[in-house]
Amino acid sequence: MIRNYLKVALRNLWRNKTFSLINIIGLATGLCCFILIALYVLDELSYDRFYKNSDRIYRISSDIRFGGAETKYPFTSDMMGQTLKKDYPQVEQYTRIYNSNGSKLLKKGTQFITETRVAHADSTFFDVFSLPAIAGNAHTALYEPNTVVITETTARKYFGNVNNAIGKIIETDDNGKTLYKVTAVIKDIPSNSHFNFDFIFSMKNVNYQWGQYGSHNFHTYLLLKPGITPEAFKKNFDQYTDQYVLPEAKAYLQITSMDEFQQSGNKLEYSLTPLTGIHLYSNRPFELSPGGNIQYVYIFSAVAIFILLIACINFMNLTTARSANRAKEVGVRKVLGTERKNLITQFLSESILTAFISCILAILLAFAIMPLFNSISGKTMSALHIFTPAIIPVLVLLPFAVGLLAGSYPAFFLSSFRPIEVLKGRLSSGRSNGSLRSALVIFQFATSIVLIAGTIIIYRQLHYIQTKNLGYNKDQLLLIENGYALQNKLEAFKQDMLQQPGVVSGTISSYLPIPSSRSDNIFSGEQVIDAKNGFSMQEWVVDYDYLKTLGIELIKGRNFSRDFGTDSNAVILNEATAKTLGYTDPVGQHIYKSGMGPGSAASYTIIGVVKNFHFESLKRDIGMVGLFLGRSTGFVSFKMNAANAPAILKYAEKKWKTYAPEMPFSYQFLDAAFNNVYRSEQRVAKIAITFSVLAILIACLGLFGLATYMAEQRTKEIGIRKVLGASVGNVVTMLSKDFLKLVTIAFCIAAPLAWWAMHNWLQDFAYRINISWWIFGIAGVLALSIALFTISFQAIKAAVANPVAALRSE
Amino acid sequence: MIKISELEKIYRTEEVETVALNKLSFEVKEGEFVAVMGPSGCGKSTLLNILGMLDDPDAGSFLFNGIEVAHFNERKRADLRKHNIGFVFQSFNLIDELTVFENVELPLIYTGVKAADRKKRVEAVLDKVQIMHRRNHYPQQLSGGQQQRVAVARAVVNNPKLILADEPTGNLDSSNGNEVMQMLTDLNEQGTTIIMVTHSEHDSRYSHRIIRMLDGQTVTENILV
Ligand SMILES: Nc1ncnc2c1ncn2[C@@H]1O[C@H](COP(=O)(O)OP(=O)(O)O)[C@@H](O)[C@H]1O
Ligand SMILES: [Mg+2]
Repeated sequence: MIRNYLKVALRNLWRNKTFSLINIIGLATGLCCFILIALYVLDELSYDRFYKNSDRIYRISSDIRFGGAETKYPFTSDMMGQTLKKDYPQVEQYTRIYNSNGSKLLKKGTQFITETRVAHADSTFFDVFSLPAIAGNAHTALYEPNTVVITETTARKYFGNVNNAIGKIIETDDNGKTLYKVTAVIKDIPSNSHFNFDFIFSMKNVNYQWGQYGSHNFHTYLLLKPGITPEAFKKNFDQYTDQYVLPEAKAYLQITSMDEFQQSGNKLEYSLTPLTGIHLYSNRPFELSPGGNIQYVYIFSAVAIFILLIACINFMNLTTARSANRAKEVGVRKVLGTERKNLITQFLSESILTAFISCILAILLAFAIMPLFNSISGKTMSALHIFTPAIIPVLVLLPFAVGLLAGSYPAFFLSSFRPIEVLKGRLSSGRSNGSLRSALVIFQFATSIVLIAGTIIIYRQLHYIQTKNLGYNKDQLLLIENGYALQNKLEAFKQDMLQQPGVVSGTISSYLPIPSSRSDNIFSGEQVIDAKNGFSMQEWVVDYDYLKTLGIELIKGRNFSRDFGTDSNAVILNEATAKTLGYTDPVGQHIYKSGMGPGSAASYTIIGVVKNFHFESLKRDIGMVGLFLGRSTGFVSFKMNAANAPAILKYAEKKWKTYAPEMPFSYQFLDAAFNNVYRSEQRVAKIAITFSVLAILIACLGLFGLATYMAEQRTKEIGIRKVLGASVGNVVTMLSKDFLKLVTIAFCIAAPLAWWAMHNWLQDFAYRINISWWIFGIAGVLALSIALFTISFQAIKAAVANPVAALRSE
Repeated sequence: MIKISELEKIYRTEEVETVALNKLSFEVKEGEFVAVMGPSGCGKSTLLNILGMLDDPDAGSFLFNGIEVAHFNERKRADLRKHNIGFVFQSFNLIDELTVFENVELPLIYTGVKAADRKKRVEAVLDKVQIMHRRNHYPQQLSGGQQQRVAVARAVVNNPKLILADEPTGNLDSSNGNEVMQMLTDLNEQGTTIIMVTHSEHDSRYSHRIIRMLDGQTVTENILV
């Protein structure tokens, strides 16, 4: 029996090839999008959940404001973790991670290579994070100084295999040269972790002034005892601050209480970020990895559900639309004595079969597209994850549900007709449920318009970022990394480079307006620094040619100069700092850097003020920065002429190799590094445009199907109208008008929605575009044109047909 | 008014070639009422479609008011048609989704008549065919005779010089049929030229002249009057 139904169903699908194809492709595309986005969202939600104690691990975050703007750090002081563990029995364990500049030079064979996935951690690291060791004992591995734990892949890369690695020595450039012994090998850290290290070095080798409560430089994690809530534990932070931070602060500042500190508009506040929330919710500067964004997870989930809905709606829409054409078939069958029950089964088996074919196609598509999707989304997901418990039920139930829903209208409605009426053609063309169909078309186009407008706005914001006047010139700037590797030959290297044709200028500094070295300190315009006059300012060490090479504009005073022997005590401020200080002419005035104990502040003469430049992401306001003359050798940067770039690069590498043959030569371009800061936004833009296009495509498939159906239904009417004098234009207008009305309504719903969503998104950026009305205009016109184009195919075809043929069909 | 000579229309399908009109020639004067008769498939409808400029001939000449229209393009034909010709079909061909009023109004819309004007003219003609009381009904709510009266009203609302009727009484009983024939006769008496295809000898007697066709050719022409 079932077989017979399926056979008839298949035959019917085959007979209506166009309809079946539109139906199957539409649903399959929608399902495929849904699968891909679902995998993406599941992956985002899975971060850091694989540790045994995930739900009890918290990172301490700190919100600090000291003069100027508040900064949210993922850091604590070096003392905080151990102090909390000592004072509060609720803390089962703590551990710290330190990765000062995020990379090290390691010797492999005779060559040094740059490793970026490196960190120092306490020996308790593996007590908190249950990363299984496959050789050695992780829990004791980092107890001694000069020890390192590496991952399986790293062990293979450096030592051939895992067992070989234990006891081997790895040489790094720490303090010139430091040796570490491999004491354990762990499994690779899963990619859905907010940190991903290949090397975890002993904390005991970090060169640091230990014992501080005021300087915040460590990622500290607490493992709380079972049953302890973060809200409850957080209450202890005030006591901690009073007891430990305040006494230390008194050494630098003239303050008596934390209240006084706060009343001066300052802030020092700690909070606990759940481990599993770091990836999606934290998003502070200096996170261990860029992290995701819960907003995007919501947006993408919504998009996935909308696309799936659109596809399902289309499916139902087309199935129902087509059913009117089958009214006659139903009539004949009923006259021939088919029972209503059988008719219902026939219709339902047809629609469910179609839905299942789509589903299988969707899975195949997902497998095919996965590599592309991975490259767009920056993930490394496997399509095999489709078969996880979260998705499988959807894939099995969905075709059933959609098939049932889509099939039930024709099944129950048509099968209830009295055959005589149907055969007499009294059933007027299924317009009876036209309003439902209209609502569906409106819904689809509203979704498409929101997606189009959203995509345009994302692109415009990214374009704005890329073309915004940043206060420095990011073009044609070559950054050669690890300048310190050349040691005392660095200056010679710079001079050699300057001799090259096309090299305009060069500068040596670790501090650049991209993610690179940062250090801040407490400064003040007064010699006696207190909570009111003190502020925290970036302290950048640069050389004489820094301003010129980066194209930063000096608006007052002068640059550092070799003609002045005293410039080692000089500072150039940015506008933001000058404004905080409040001098009408800051040049010649002094600022003071806090030191240990009263009267120990160091004095600097302000020699110039530079125009504000964006040294952090445009998501943040421009903070205070002071440039100091000195030596910091992270990067050697050169401004070049574009035409000479390839030759200059080749020369730089050759020269580098003669000065330091065993050191890796690596470089980047400032504009590319700048773009990297916005990589997650760029990914979102790409994903957004991909899915907008798909959503529109699916909507168009549906519209095309409907238009085909409408034109077919109205062939005779069109014939009559043409006989009565309707022109092709009249007919096309008539057929398009209805749809266009729907698209217009969709626009009215979509525009405010899109505005609201994108307005929220833009709040992330301190520097952002205005949402102008014409963006919605474009989105609307685009959706309208696409709809018109889709419909006009069928409309024109119907309009130019000879009316005689339409009227002959009696 | 109409002069056709050596008119040919051949339908080609994949397998067969049907000669629907075979060097057909005749003339119709202004104000005449002509009936076209002949067995099924002899080319009557094809002829009417060409005279109504819905279709173009493959060869021969077709003078309409002295103008050669055989090679007119679609647009010109449509223009000529909507101002000069009204159609009445066997199966009425009213649009189901439009009311009686709207159906009759259509030709006026396509010739660009103003709304206020349209209302007056539609009401006048609905009055004339005595269907005014049904103006807001849909075609399916009317009897066959009423539907054909609406169709006639629609054909004449633009005051065409020529009415082409393809078996106008074919789907009607005799009393409704006579009513429609009477309406056509009245129109003819007011000066409208009428060419009507019919199977009925009874109906053909309303005409002035009968053209009998066989296999796409005229066989005889009887002048009645
Ligand atoms: N569109 C067409 N395609 C193919 N053959 C056609 C077409 N229209 C009419 N014919 C053929 O041309 C001949 C004349 O048809 P028609 O003018 O409709 O005859 P009548 O109206 O006299 O019954 C018939 O043989 C018919 O089958
Ligand atoms: Mg005929």
